[in-house]
Amino acid sequence: MSPPILLALVALFAPAVAALLLVPPAARRQGWPAAVVCILGSVVSFGAALALLANQLGDPTPQTLAVPWLHAGTAVVAEAGVHVDGVAASMLAVVTLVALCVQVFSLGYMHDEPAPAFGRYFAYHALFLFSMNVLVVAPNLLQLFVGWELVGVTSYLLIGFYFRKPSAAHAAVKAFWVTKFADMGFLFGLLTLYCASGGFRWDAQLAPETATAVTLLFFLAVVGKSAQFPLHVWLPDAMEGPTPVSALLHAATMVAAGVFLVVRANPLFAQSETTRTLMLGLGAGTALFAALLALVQTDIKKVLAYSTCSQLGYMVAALGAGSVLGGFFHLTTHAFFKALLFLAAGSAIHAVHSNEIGAMGGLAKRMPLTAAAFVIGALSLAGIPGFSGFFSKDLVLEAVEGKLGSVPWAALLATAFLTAFYMGKVVFVAFFGEPSGENAKHAHEPGWSMRGPLVILAILSLVLGYFAAPFAKLHGETYHFEVGLGPILGATLGVGGFAAAYLVFGRGKRETVPAPMAWIGRIANAGIVDRIYELGYRRVTLVFADALAWFDRYVVDGLINLLGYSTLEAGAAARPIQTGLATDYVTAVVVGAVCVAAWAVTR
Amino acid sequence: MTLSTCLLLATALFAVGIYGLLTRRQAMAVLLCIELMANAANLCFVAFSRFRGGVTGQVFAAFSIALTVAEVAVGLAIVILLYRSRGDTRLDLASEMKE
Repeated sequence: MSPPILLALVALFAPAVAALLLVPPAARRQGWPAAVVCILGSVVSFGAALALLANQLGDPTPQTLAVPWLHAGTAVVAEAGVHVDGVAASMLAVVTLVALCVQVFSLGYMHDEPAPAFGRYFAYHALFLFSMNVLVVAPNLLQLFVGWELVGVTSYLLIGFYFRKPSAAHAAVKAFWVTKFADMGFLFGLLTLYCASGGFRWDAQLAPETATAVTLLFFLAVVGKSAQFPLHVWLPDAMEGPTPVSALLHAATMVAAGVFLVVRANPLFAQSETTRTLMLGLGAGTALFAALLALVQTDIKKVLAYSTCSQLGYMVAALGAGSVLGGFFHLTTHAFFKALLFLAAGSAIHAVHSNEIGAMGGLAKRMPLTAAAFVIGALSLAGIPGFSGFFSKDLVLEAVEGKLGSVPWAALLATAFLTAFYMGKVVFVAFFGEPSGENAKHAHEPGWSMRGPLVILAILSLVLGYFAAPFAKLHGETYHFEVGLGPILGATLGVGGFAAAYLVFGRGKRETVPAPMAWIGRIANAGIVDRIYELGYRRVTLVFADALAWFDRYVVDGLINLLGYSTLEAGAAARPIQTGLATDYVTAVVVGAVCVAAWAVTR
Repeated sequence: MTLSTCLLLATALFAVGIYGLLTRRQAMAVLLCIELMANAANLCFVAFSRFRGGVTGQVFAAFSIALTVAEVAVGLAIVILLYRSRGDTRLDLASEMKE
């Protein structure tokens, strides 16, 4: 077994061992030991992932270890194992690092939870990291699907962590249902792929129509998991989970799984121009739509949630335009700066005890490190030159430019401006100006377990952009930065958005949604899509179900009841024949015998 | 004496038995009629054995007689129980054999 394979196996199974150790309730009830086990697993996993990444940078040859998994007679239907290449190595490093940061952060953030809940939280985390790793190192699409579903289940557990709170339980169920509906696409796509190619390989060659069908089905799953319009509805609700969970699910892992699937199955997606065009359009549309919604949110986590939708739109659009590097690099930088933003927001929420940006204010003086971390994340997300988000966003814009009459390009540029604007709003309202309440006045920095991850993620958000070239090399592509119209336009819009936000919010105004923006809230109301689903559920699904129930109750059951009733009636009608007199019975026997004899004679 | 006269006799016996079976009300009489019918069948066995050769018929007749004895034993037991329980053996008074 070669070293890369071994490293991948260690990275894969370290969290699994941690999760298994935390299965007995006694191990979890204590709280702290569970956290230590979980974080140790993540540290080992991250170490192995880092070594694997270094190895792949030196020798980028893909390697696979696959053992037969599903048998049918003598044939092997599917294999399971690990596949190591640039994509898997970089994704593994990103996932394990962000998970590790989030877990360490959680030590401080979840400190007030009772010990059993604390232990349960970390058990879920270990299981989640294992699920995600199963997905990342999968050597075929079937194993990827298994990891995908495991991620779905564990995200359900994590979002619904405060399950005694009805809204959290509801949000968890909603996230589960919406993504499960989308996963149907993945399942049918796999079946179609298997029927057409006899395997679950992502580099199968298919007929054009089949390729379109398979990739469209896969894309449905991506739309659900990566929260693209119109299946984005679960993501804002999923903010009901603890803030570090939001950082994990909505930055580096769960939502990124959708984009990762497209990156993985790119040879399939490349075979269908139809699917790619749809991805480009839907991605750019989602980016703009979600950015508009983010504009009118006053809850800091909701702003970040919609911005996640929006940034995932960027990635999907880039992949639709055929740029795997652009989509994947944006996924990577986004993973770090969005995790940073969520954790910094978590730190602020922890200090202020409110999610509303209106309740914060002036936090920069009282929590300088948190504020600095959030500002770095915001500048990176806004695409300010020099920060990692600038480089990846530039790659995306470059890929999209000129496609489909430049409409998606224009939409993404508008989104870039809006992104800078709403992030500027959060920064100026929540972290500058005057404190708006007693809690904000007495806010203070959290402990080191929460500050450490912020520092690490902030550094990565600052410098990752300069590692685009080695990143491209991992994927067998080349990258060099050129100053041209695209970067200048992107930078101008980013800086312009921030400047506009300063003009509107930075000069002492405390209004979080000014009147000119409120109409966006009314028109592009977040509830509209939800309401359509609700209407569809009430008017179509329920009515259809009622019709079926009626048919079952009165036609199917009716037939059965009729049969039983007529049997009873026939029995009652025949009952007088049985008199109880032996003579009558004998007569019947004799008559019967005579009949049989007559029949035998005349036959 | 030929086979047909024997069979005619057996048929006559059987017919008498059936007639009694259907018309009699006394359990003892019914039992006797059943005996008549059984012996009509025995007569046929013996007659065929006598005129067609072979001993199969006679063996069957012997079996049948043994069987009839057992049957009568059961029948008489029922009649005695009937008499004990209601002081009469008229069949049209016993109508519990339903449901």
